[in-house]
Amino acid sequence: MFSFNNITTAIDEFLNSVLPAQGALIVECVLVALCAVLAYVTLAIVMIFMERKVCAAFQCRLGPMRVGYWGLLQVFADVFKMLIKEIISINRSDRVLYNLAPYLVVMSSVLTFSCLPFASGLQVLDFNIGVFFIMAASSFGVLGILLAGWSSNNKYSMIGAVRSGAQMISYELSIGLCILVVVILSGTMQISELVDMQRSGWFIFRGHIPAFIAFIIYLIAGNAETNRAPFDLPEAESELTAGFHTEYSGMHFGFFYVAEFMNLFIVAGIASTLFLGGWAPLYITGLDAFNNIMDYIPGIVWFLGKTFFVIWLLMWVRWTFPRMRIDHVVSLEWKYLIPIGLVNLLIMTLCVVMGWTF
Amino acid sequence: MTPTFIETKELRPLMKELHSKGMDFLRDLIGIDWGEEGLGVIYMLENSSTGENLQYAVRCADREKPQIPTVCDIWKVAELYEREVYDFFGIEFTGHPDLRRLYLRNDWVGHPLRKDYDESEALNPIRLESEITEDVQRPYEIAEDAEMAKIDKETNIIHGDQYIINIGPQHPATHGVLRFRLALDGEEIRKIDIRCGYIHRGIEKMSEKLTYPQILALTDRLDYLSAHQNRHALCMCIEKAMGLEITERTQYIRTIMDELQRIDSHLLFLSCAAMDLGAITTFIYGFRDREKILDIFEEVTGGRLIQNYNTIGGVQADITPGFAQKVKEYCRYQRDKIKEYNDVFTNNVITRKRMIGVGRLSLADAISYGCTGGTGRASGWACDVRKRHPYALYDKVDFKEIIYKNGDCYDRFLVRIDEILESIHIIEQLIDNIPEGDYKVKTKPIIRLPEGQFSASVEGSRGEFGVFIESRGDKSPYRLKFRPMGLPLVASMHKILKGAKIADLIAIGATLDYVIPDIDR
Amino acid sequence: MKQRNTYIGKILFSVSSLATGLKTTLNEFFTRKVTEQYPENRKTQKISERHRARLYMPLDENGNNKCIACGLCANNCPNGTITIKTKMVTDPETGKSKKMLDEYTYDLGCCMFCQLCVNVCPKDAIAFNNDFENAVFDRKKLIIKLNK
Repeated sequence: MFSFNNITTAIDEFLNSVLPAQGALIVECVLVALCAVLAYVTLAIVMIFMERKVCAAFQCRLGPMRVGYWGLLQVFADVFKMLIKEIISINRSDRVLYNLAPYLVVMSSVLTFSCLPFASGLQVLDFNIGVFFIMAASSFGVLGILLAGWSSNNKYSMIGAVRSGAQMISYELSIGLCILVVVILSGTMQISELVDMQRSGWFIFRGHIPAFIAFIIYLIAGNAETNRAPFDLPEAESELTAGFHTEYSGMHFGFFYVAEFMNLFIVAGIASTLFLGGWAPLYITGLDAFNNIMDYIPGIVWFLGKTFFVIWLLMWVRWTFPRMRIDHVVSLEWKYLIPIGLVNLLIMTLCVVMGWTF
Repeated sequence: MTPTFIETKELRPLMKELHSKGMDFLRDLIGIDWGEEGLGVIYMLENSSTGENLQYAVRCADREKPQIPTVCDIWKVAELYEREVYDFFGIEFTGHPDLRRLYLRNDWVGHPLRKDYDESEALNPIRLESEITEDVQRPYEIAEDAEMAKIDKETNIIHGDQYIINIGPQHPATHGVLRFRLALDGEEIRKIDIRCGYIHRGIEKMSEKLTYPQILALTDRLDYLSAHQNRHALCMCIEKAMGLEITERTQYIRTIMDELQRIDSHLLFLSCAAMDLGAITTFIYGFRDREKILDIFEEVTGGRLIQNYNTIGGVQADITPGFAQKVKEYCRYQRDKIKEYNDVFTNNVITRKRMIGVGRLSLADAISYGCTGGTGRASGWACDVRKRHPYALYDKVDFKEIIYKNGDCYDRFLVRIDEILESIHIIEQLIDNIPEGDYKVKTKPIIRLPEGQFSASVEGSRGEFGVFIESRGDKSPYRLKFRPMGLPLVASMHKILKGAKIADLIAIGATLDYVIPDIDR
Repeated sequence: MKQRNTYIGKILFSVSSLATGLKTTLNEFFTRKVTEQYPENRKTQKISERHRARLYMPLDENGNNKCIACGLCANNCPNGTITIKTKMVTDPETGKSKKMLDEYTYDLGCCMFCQLCVNVCPKDAIAFNNDFENAVFDRKKLIIKLNK
């Protein structure tokens, strides 16, 4: 099967032949960063457009239709508007933290984003504790949100930030438990190996019931991590106007906005990597002809297809349910998701030990 | 009905006695300036179980410092009513715990509804700077003999060291410009201070200078979601005063339009309640279906929100030929859609969790605060004016008064959903039987009401909407008072909100279903 | 589904109620959309004849309006929206002088569409039409002279 490894190795060899080793490394780093940021922005634009259209369809509307054919240029218009807006500064706010917060949020999400395996070889970091790294990187986004709320000198922001702290830290546990289920099933934490193992069958099928439960819990907890409805209490526009980012304008607000969307992509991307086989195609044992056709579809299409399917699922949920209350959010996590997740982990261990997996 | 005049000294003992005898619902408290005879207040009482009505009036000849003992410890809603009267007439209610202005700014000079009010702009120029939030309440000492009135002590409403947050005047969940000052402890609400008046237009004051047909145009702008019922009430009151008999056809049209308006309002209620709880999709579904009613309104009345349809003696124009067909189609359509709202929102576990048991209003409190409409019925109070004092065709049609027991947010929500179905039921009984006849009775070009006091009330979309007119035989009323549907609801928030969370405030505010222009007038 | 008060019962009830909601929105995902694309659908959109958008003077077949400058509409308007200027015209045949309409100005920006002026007009000289696109950049443009 085609692998991006060939291309990256070729570029690496070429750079090493014209530049000293140190220089080649620096150029490579810059190139990788550039590609990652470009992909990040492109996907964000695609997702914002998708959210608008999907949301509109669920609500019996057409969504944006005016800017460009079928509203295709709407997001570009929005981005342009956001870029030309003034970034205001707030009286008696903590200037440094206030300006730092959006960058922290974006940084955490770019860092996590670059760990996603888009296709074979198309991955920035691939080392033996990749899954662990993703979790660590994604969890310092909450710091940005807390700082944004605290430094804005606004009471709505403060309440939003405190809510988000309580919520995101709780739900990280569930995410960890779900990822552990997969780690137990596969016996590895390296992302490329995880995907490779799924070439013979996605984990959601191989791990059957416990894997499926873990997948559902992961989606719920992931939704909560991204602060999207029904867990959008940190923003809660009908309660706290805009929650933690009430006081942000222009591109600073844009960073929060983009980061929120990309966190959704990351959650969906990890879900598709861990449970739905990442860039591995769908094989059905016994149907060789079918499997051969599946091989012709490139890995990146598989990955993006699965990811966007999960995103669509999460959007469906978002545009259906009302917002929860903070105590319900916390009790859902501590009284339901964590106990179920723990039992699920036990079942999975049992399954693996007894060899009840496929 | 003319009120019985009593002495200020008799007021409190009498009111206490009446309250203990079952007159537990203070329908309205109306301040009037009787000129030479002094300033006074009319108390409209009702027995919530038998529907018996009584009116008492108190007069205070001293125009410089008029004082009347408070009744706000007997009926809790009187607290805000008396603040309104104090604001407009300057009558001091001795024993009132918190006598501040309700609608006008703190720095307003004079009391505008007094007949000797100085309207010159020099006194009250258009002020461009913000009002300074007054955080002091000045309770008057409770004094049974009403002469001991003096400022007792000044206390802060909300102490400075509490975490104060403003909900409103510009806030997505207040549905208009109402402002709550909340003192929070974490997410929990410790104290609430309600500030009205951001959209006060002085409609009652304006009415004193306008002719009766001109006043009609203002009623649509009180509670814009009960535009039709508001106008119905005023027309009814004027027709009653003039002794005008309206035709059967008009009665049918008015009743059908009232019920359509009620469905319209309840649909908006359920959509907005859903949106406040974060279910934006349900909001759009509700508005999608409400659009169909608005189309019907537009075709018949020419307006979607401000319909301008009832006139004195009839309606503005006859119904259109396709009206009955369209309404029937709509009724069928809406019946099915109710199930969709229930599936996607009402029966949802998140909604139930957020509403069941939240914001309980007991039956006794509902009556004491005068919370009529869906809110009262959710608490188990059979307060529907259509049943208590039937008007138009409501004594001829068959319909059920929806009553729930718990008085929490969920029941308040369910009452409205059931009422949509009940309204559809009423419309379906009437729509095929609209009799032929004139849609309007000819009236004199200039309408004068005979001298006297007249009142009428209808069941608006969110409670009892009352009109009180005192006429001196002129083209315009001497005093016109609208009973706001929303003010008692907002008053009850004091009671409901203690210990609730911020998220509950949103759910409670949404399900109480107040409309700000109706509160502020 | 009835809610049971056990741990598992609560979970099952929650999941089923959420699933019902998801099913409903999924149905709507595929139904026909109701958005009306306003400026594009100008040709097909229907506005009720009774809709009150702006006051105008219907003309008779000779191109004359029916106004007799009685001033009832101006007197009845709660907002003082209408001002009428009259002139005295002497009829060349009879020699009698007669009050005639000179200028009928209507301030759309102040109008609250209560229809009292139309109701009170003895000659049906004014009516409301359906021209609802009245947005302008200058308030003065809303003060319209109705008679030509």
